[in-house]
Amino acid sequence: MVSAMRAEVMQAGQAGAIAGRRAGSGASRLYLFTLPATLLFVVFVAYPILWVAGQSFYTRSGSGETSFAGFANYAVVLGEPTFWIVVRNMALWGLITIPVQMLIGGLLAYFIERHTIVFRGFFRTMFFLPVVTSVSVISLVWVQIYAPYYGIAQEYLKHVGIVMATSPIGDPKTAIYALIVVNIWQWTGFSMLMYIAGIANLPGEVLDAARVDGARGWRLAVHVIVPMLAPATKSLLLLGVIGTLQTFPIVHLMTGGGPNRASEVFGTFIFKQSFVLGDTGSGAALSVIVLIIALALSLLQIVALGARLTPAGKERQ
Amino acid sequence: MATLSIDKITKAFGSLTVIPELSLTIPDGEFCVLVGPSGCGKSTLLRIIAGLEPINSGRILVDGVDMSGAEPPERGVAMVFQSYALYPHMDVRRNIGFGLEIARTPAAERAGRVRRAAEKLRLSGYLSRKPRELSGGQRQRVAIGRAMTRKPKLFLLDEPLSNLDAALRVGMRIEIARLKAELASTMIYVTHDQVEAMTLADRIVVMNGGRIEQVGTPLDLYHRPANLFVAGFIGSPAMNFLKGRVAAVREMRATVALAFGPQLDIALSQRVEPGEDVTLGIRPEHISFSADAQSDAYVARAALVELLGSDTFVHVREGDESLVIRDSRGRMARAGDSIAISFPASACHLFDKPGRRISQGAPSGFEIDPAAAPA
Amino acid sequence: MTPPARLRVRSVVIHAVLFVVLAIWMVPQVYMLSIGLRTPAQAFDASLFTWPVTFDNFAMVVRDNPLGGIFLNSLIVTVATVAIVVAVSSLFAFACAVLRLKGSLLLYTTLLTTLMVPLASMVLPLAILLKNFGWVNTYIGLILPYAALGVPFAMVILKSFMEDAPRELFEAARVDGCNAWQTYWHVALPLVRPALVFVTIWQFIVTWNEFFLALIVLTRSEMKTLTIIPMQYSGLYMANPGALFAVLTLIALPLILLYVLVQRAFVRGLLAGAVKG
Repeated sequence: MVSAMRAEVMQAGQAGAIAGRRAGSGASRLYLFTLPATLLFVVFVAYPILWVAGQSFYTRSGSGETSFAGFANYAVVLGEPTFWIVVRNMALWGLITIPVQMLIGGLLAYFIERHTIVFRGFFRTMFFLPVVTSVSVISLVWVQIYAPYYGIAQEYLKHVGIVMATSPIGDPKTAIYALIVVNIWQWTGFSMLMYIAGIANLPGEVLDAARVDGARGWRLAVHVIVPMLAPATKSLLLLGVIGTLQTFPIVHLMTGGGPNRASEVFGTFIFKQSFVLGDTGSGAALSVIVLIIALALSLLQIVALGARLTPAGKERQ
Repeated sequence: MATLSIDKITKAFGSLTVIPELSLTIPDGEFCVLVGPSGCGKSTLLRIIAGLEPINSGRILVDGVDMSGAEPPERGVAMVFQSYALYPHMDVRRNIGFGLEIARTPAAERAGRVRRAAEKLRLSGYLSRKPRELSGGQRQRVAIGRAMTRKPKLFLLDEPLSNLDAALRVGMRIEIARLKAELASTMIYVTHDQVEAMTLADRIVVMNGGRIEQVGTPLDLYHRPANLFVAGFIGSPAMNFLKGRVAAVREMRATVALAFGPQLDIALSQRVEPGEDVTLGIRPEHISFSADAQSDAYVARAALVELLGSDTFVHVREGDESLVIRDSRGRMARAGDSIAISFPASACHLFDKPGRRISQGAPSGFEIDPAAAPA
Repeated sequence: MTPPARLRVRSVVIHAVLFVVLAIWMVPQVYMLSIGLRTPAQAFDASLFTWPVTFDNFAMVVRDNPLGGIFLNSLIVTVATVAIVVAVSSLFAFACAVLRLKGSLLLYTTLLTTLMVPLASMVLPLAILLKNFGWVNTYIGLILPYAALGVPFAMVILKSFMEDAPRELFEAARVDGCNAWQTYWHVALPLVRPALVFVTIWQFIVTWNEFFLALIVLTRSEMKTLTIIPMQYSGLYMANPGALFAVLTLIALPLILLYVLVQRAFVRGLLAGAVKG
């Protein structure tokens, strides 16, 4: 027990013994390695965030004067009904897209990795193509698909007895769902790829041992493979939450947040407040709120679930 | 070639002191082996010598020059790592010559040195291969080659044979011995295997818990272990230890009564008092036994007999103590047999209660005759 | 049915199902291509395929629009961004994982907050910043912010790979006389090559397809990237979906072709341990 402890402490000490440490000028020059990244961050990320945070405490009156407003902007934003529509939309977005993408992606990954050989590369590539297609192209194509008279969605839904009066993205009740469908279509390939990597890296011996224990096929999948893919799942969850909160171009291009704010998301809301209405104060307050939510949810997942951005790396003692 | 002086160094990782003050001098050209159980600090000491670990206090001197804060190349150090640490993306040629490449040695000279090292290590046909295409033994030779070409003052090896299987290990041991003859460097070798230590070393440094237990030539350590730890560590199978008490003391000889049974008369190098608890040590290969009981031999029953063809191991148990006897002369026994055991007094070591040797021990070169009856 | 036969049937069924799912999944893209191949008369037909097929739309669109120049814009911006991201993030990952500089972990975590900031919030201050630097409608005005946004994810992956590499390799480099830069260049980078490949390709995809910042920064039409021009075409070709979708197809094509070409290296980099079960 003592020798194990010693080994640990020694390991920690040995970790620093790379590239030499000499008192004086040598060591500080090594920080140059971190300089470019830090510089980019400070100028293009930190400064804008701080600027926005600062802006959130000021209001601009009609005549263009700015005055300190304390938390007034926050109060206004939180009081707006649109804010709560947005929260609802984001919750729906996250709760639907993340599990569905995981499920479909996971199933695809499982069957492609374990049951195909010749076509494996083909399937892996084809399902990933929507991910590499630009959002501007996707939005226009889907607008066409959803079009009530000449889009093909109508054509196929006819067979199931659904007739669309307007495009799904033009109907306040269905707009957000129509957008969610597009998002799932585009990003499932990413979940699939993460799971493919996870499955490909499963230690063969563990799977063999499970088979010797009598687990095959479905049971093997459910009781052994799925639990062992937990790191990939947690990773997808973390990225999924962050991505949901960041959603913007697809909504902006397809519905603009409408009709009547029915499909408003944080991104479009902020955009409208800051750019369109020129109310930088409330737009900034919104931004800070979103940032805090993102940080809180991410921290929660990292601490409570041990989620990591990429489920990489060997188990470190 | 260089003299290494380690002067009162200490090493701690945070609050954990791994090496409380240690001093050691390794003369020019010596093959010195650091040996000891896991966690004894030998690898740490090697890394300190290499310059990979800083020290908390004390000095490291190479040829009299203080190199305490210096980087490995400045110290003239080259090292063979336990895992070989070959650069996986470089071929053998580049791996061997990499140190020279960094030192900006002219390409022609570098190519020459690499070629000569490869010839010596029988790697000439493998220069364009990558490490993953080589066997364990070949990789190890590349690691040695990489260290060799730098013509280092100090040639360090960190458990180089521990990753090899048994058969390979014997072959590589011979190679290293051959290398030792050819190279002019001072070589410092770390291992936990005392057979490697005994066969390769000019001098052995036995370490335990960050301290040096004894420094000496292999035969020194074998015949005159300074304490219980060294006595039990060197030699395979390990030395037998039996509890005893001093019955009487006469000038520099003591009569020791063993719990095991017999009474022995041992020459002392330190004074003891009658009644003191002592430990008697005797190596399995120095005990003799025979089937017919001689009058003053001690009789015991063989509990277990292992026949190896070249050796016979007889295990004897008495109470809670046990004894292993090793016979290389072809004497046979069966489990359950009664055998007569004799302990030649000249082969016995005596240790006091704290574990220090108090018997005289055999002078080196002394031929122990197991047939000699106890005095 | 004998077991081997059953396995065969199961394999056929699975493949069939996968193909069906794939067929459904590919509908939007097939649809896009299909409309691009239609005459104006058929353009509004509510069906997936129509006959006959015409290439007139493609011809017209290529003739009338400086797609080549716009493609070049995308290429320049993307290649420059990728180069910067890979260089900068690998240096940083090296400092964190190998040099273990004090405070680097704190810096690392701070940089990760980049991922959580909604882009929409940053656009306004960035636009003002760029205007102050005089970088609106320039390549660099897009490249540097893109790089800043891309570094965090890349550095997470590279740091993880570098941490997995055996430490003795770096110590051997030190014994061989390498300083920090030489260790980085000769040892660390080659060791994490699969990760570098993965990061390069991913950053390429993400940068090429970035929409919003490009829209804000590049207002002059000759500077625009491929990703943002569909918007202006949707107005231009409102009455002629055929032409619109021909353009969209041409815009989507380069990256699709590129991905098909590099996907093996991409997946291999991913499988090499970027994601370990």
